[in-house]
Amino acid sequence: MKHKNKLENTTSRNISLVVMIIIAVTCVLPFVLMISASITEEKELVKEGYKFWPNRISFDTYKYLWAKRETIGKAYGMSILVTLAGTLINVIITSLFAYPLYRRDFKARTPLAFLVFFTMLFSGGLTASYIIWTEIFHIKDTVWALILPNHLMSAMNILLVRNYYSTSIPEPIIEAARIDGASEMRIYARILVPLSKPVLITIALFSGMAYWNDWTNGMYYIKNQNLYTITVYLNNVMNNIQLLSQRSSMTEGMNLAELNLPTVGVRMAIAFTAIIPVLIVFPFIQSKLIEGVVVGGVKG
Amino acid sequence: MSNTGIKEGRRRRSKRENHLPLYLMILPGLVYLLVNNYLPMYGLTIAFRRIDYTKGILNSPFVGFENFEFLFRTKDAWIMIRNTVAYNVVFILLGIVIAVVIAIMMTEIGKMKIAKIIMPVICFPNMISIIVVSYLVYAFLGSNGFINNAIIGGRGIAWYREAKYWPYILTIVHFWQVAGYSSIIYIATMSGIDAELYEAAKLDGATKMQQIFRITLPLIRPTIILMLLMSVGRIFNSDFGLFLQVPMNSGMLFPTTQTIDTYAYRALMELNDIGKSSATGVFQSVVGFTLVMISNLIVRKVDPDSALF
Repeated sequence: MKHKNKLENTTSRNISLVVMIIIAVTCVLPFVLMISASITEEKELVKEGYKFWPNRISFDTYKYLWAKRETIGKAYGMSILVTLAGTLINVIITSLFAYPLYRRDFKARTPLAFLVFFTMLFSGGLTASYIIWTEIFHIKDTVWALILPNHLMSAMNILLVRNYYSTSIPEPIIEAARIDGASEMRIYARILVPLSKPVLITIALFSGMAYWNDWTNGMYYIKNQNLYTITVYLNNVMNNIQLLSQRSSMTEGMNLAELNLPTVGVRMAIAFTAIIPVLIVFPFIQSKLIEGVVVGGVKG
Repeated sequence: MSNTGIKEGRRRRSKRENHLPLYLMILPGLVYLLVNNYLPMYGLTIAFRRIDYTKGILNSPFVGFENFEFLFRTKDAWIMIRNTVAYNVVFILLGIVIAVVIAIMMTEIGKMKIAKIIMPVICFPNMISIIVVSYLVYAFLGSNGFINNAIIGGRGIAWYREAKYWPYILTIVHFWQVAGYSSIIYIATMSGIDAELYEAAKLDGATKMQQIFRITLPLIRPTIILMLLMSVGRIFNSDFGLFLQVPMNSGMLFPTTQTIDTYAYRALMELNDIGKSSATGVFQSVVGFTLVMISNLIVRKVDPDSALF
């Protein structure tokens, strides 16, 4: 009996291992195709299509990107700027907002918590937000359009930080600091922030991901090419290709220059450069992100 | 004597009541909530107005349910609601099965070193922008994409012109992107199960399948129910990026790719029909809110601890 069990254990483990490896490979393969397309010689790509193993390798696409560094580089820089600024503001206002919600002696605590929580249940939706941002605040074609709508603060993050304060920072510490005459701002900066670093890093990562990957704000509010982020740039290229293929039945690769569109390989190269930062950062932050999901899922 | 008394009183009062700094700390976030979340709720009234640009969109006269009548008279309304709900039903049910199966297998190989590589790899697709995903899909399905060239051969299939394939394509793309990530919550729940339970079951000669069906599944049931009910509350919301970007905005695919969110977007940005677009928004918000409330009511009955409120 024991022997049979052991055998069954190894079998089920082996099956799991094989299936999980297949799933992992499936997750990776599309990226491999993208990268090999970006280093396939353009002629081969147009004639023979996307392949995992190109016959003729060329780095012309990346040379082209380098030559066009002004437009693409600018979009890249915009993405970085928006991500850094948005994440920084997000972490500051979220951690500030969560502090009074954590203080039990704060009278407005309950109504404010409800105000936050209610946004998780009911939302004005896309059209109404668009009208408000454009009709009242006129953010079209400003850098604010990339930072303000949607991502600056979320109810989820506030509750996450508030819960972290409540479980890991005992109130007597705050009491003591206040009796010693420390101002609220000082308590926040000297006690709350240092003690809640792990959760602040987690929300910074979530926020940074959201900003880096966002394309909706750019699609709604940005027409000025100088303000394109890398995802907005990619979105725009894709839309133009679609327009082109709807207008005529000509094959890909023809007349692209006429429309000033990057060629097939270059498109894949840009898409790849857009995920490089995620690719570099992700291995270091993945455990943190996973942790965040668990905490958020259980408590949210 | 009295002097110190006054001082003390003032000190105590200021300690107890001077919450001005706390209000100041709340202020930036509060302003943001009002602008980003609460003003759009007021913006929902647009759906009940007849847009008059001379008066401004937010001051146009009220006309009752006119916009809703226009909206629900179109054929689009039925198609987008059907698509949204149908995709969600598939995504939710299949999603739970896939996430739980992955979680069970990951737990099974959890002690092996390779699991530390597999986990981030299967979560990675969830970390990239849907724009990049649409490029990846295009590399497979485009006119000279990998599938047409290497697998089908000949002239291939014009994927972006054939609506009938898209329910499958979008389902595959969706799970490719979220499957690994969505298993995290179940892996976490399973890691909390007492290992002695399995040991005892093994001693009693329980097979692996019996262990899964008699121990694992019953113990993660609360998480499954919670996840199920939370997604039911969002059954009229769709993954905007998936349905807008991956089919590349191709009009021929609308019969199987149009959802409530993509319709609202197209009505607003492409047709400039603010009335219908905002009516769609109200429909989604109100129905969504009702469903969240109902599902929370059910959760409270089933498992009070997991209830949202």
